[in-house]
Amino acid sequence: MIDWLLFAVLSFFALGGAARVVTSENLVHVVLYLAVTLIATAGVYAQMDAGFLAAIQILLYTGGVITLMLFAVLLARRNGGSVPAEGHTSPLRSLLVAGLVAGLSGYTILRGGAPNRAPEALSTAELGRVLLDPLALPFEALSVLLLAAMIGAIVLARRKDA
Amino acid sequence: MSVILENPWLLGAVAGFVVINAMMVTAAWSIWFERKFAGAMQNRPGPTQVGWAGLLQPVADLLKLIQKEDIVPTNADRALFNLAPPLGMILVLAGLAVFPWAPGWVPADLDIGLLFILSISSLITIPVWMAGWASNNKYALLGGMRAAAQAVSFEVPLLLSALVPIILGGSLRLGDIVAAQADGRWFALWPPGPGSVAFVLFMLASLAEANRIPFDIPEAESELVAGITTEYVGMKFGLIYLAEYLHTAVSSLLGATLFLGGWDGPGPDGIHWLLLKSFALFAGIFWVRWTLLRYRADQFMALCWRVFVPVSLACVAVAAVWRVYA
Repeated sequence: MIDWLLFAVLSFFALGGAARVVTSENLVHVVLYLAVTLIATAGVYAQMDAGFLAAIQILLYTGGVITLMLFAVLLARRNGGSVPAEGHTSPLRSLLVAGLVAGLSGYTILRGGAPNRAPEALSTAELGRVLLDPLALPFEALSVLLLAAMIGAIVLARRKDA
Repeated sequence: MSVILENPWLLGAVAGFVVINAMMVTAAWSIWFERKFAGAMQNRPGPTQVGWAGLLQPVADLLKLIQKEDIVPTNADRALFNLAPPLGMILVLAGLAVFPWAPGWVPADLDIGLLFILSISSLITIPVWMAGWASNNKYALLGGMRAAAQAVSFEVPLLLSALVPIILGGSLRLGDIVAAQADGRWFALWPPGPGSVAFVLFMLASLAEANRIPFDIPEAESELVAGITTEYVGMKFGLIYLAEYLHTAVSSLLGATLFLGGWDGPGPDGIHWLLLKSFALFAGIFWVRWTLLRYRADQFMALCWRVFVPVSLACVAVAAVWRVYA
């Protein structure tokens, strides 16, 4: 009972925040609503016994990325921080993109079918062992990818200066 | 008693009530302590008028703050302006849930306790930034921007130096980290090197996260009037101010837990050792505050990226080598 209530509250904040991200006129509010969605999603993770994932989601996405976004919004602001009125928004195009994304994710979910067993909760210690032993190579490959992305970003930013 | 202990919801409520109230009272009187302490350092008496040795000064301050007119600037973002102070307070207090106060006394014994505190305190920048932006005041905004830049940068050495006790203790659970330091093998002392350097870096980075002197550039009163608190009056100002004190107190508790052995000490172990150590760290922070000058914003960022980050990385590497080969 309490689980369902908690899930309902978390979903309300996650979905409500996401809806406001799309509809809000003020860019700063958009970023803060995104933070609400991310925290509520972390709450859902925690409810499914994925505490590590929840903490990392808050630490990296909300604590790090959202803070950086708040910072960036003000550095790039126009019209007093609100979304520029002369937009490149066409409802038709938005609908097309949204439809494609929804279709693709819906297709993937339906193809996968309903899980036939409850996902087993992996303790943080087991997760660490898995990441450093059988999955060490993909884990390192991801790090190299991130490093490459970071170097690429620096190179691009530098070129604009010169 | 057993009814409370057996029901996790009741236990959580009671433990939360006790911990939060104890911390709020401590924070209020730590302001009195700081003023007395600063007075002693500067050869003046500090507060003397209200109660014996000014001991009732926090009560008088509270009554004054409650009576003040609540002013919200006309062009402020009203909702965010009002939301920021209590949100900051909630986030600071939330971290207290996972502390091992004494052997077996943990309100919420999470296996990722340390990660929980670090992730919750990484969120504190958001209300600080929010207060600065919502005030619609250029000084407040500059303060908020500085706070965001500072928090994003110092997050890196803070997390890296917190990795050292995780590596040495082999767990993310705060209780296990304390247990690994039993019988005086505190990480700040043993193994010599990574632990003690990481301890210093951790405390300095915590000072930066809590916006305390010498790293209080978001609030630099000589440059930014009062930074993010410029437009705040009355109890909302009081909440921001108190949250800053509580943040410092939580950092001291965390420093004592991670590096100074928590409740471990000569004689019987218990909450008194944790409180004594964190209070010593807390007083040390006041000492620094009344001794040092403020860093300049750009020098301070250079200090973070050129000194703190590489040194804390080296600490992590040395600690890992120690853990594997010793």
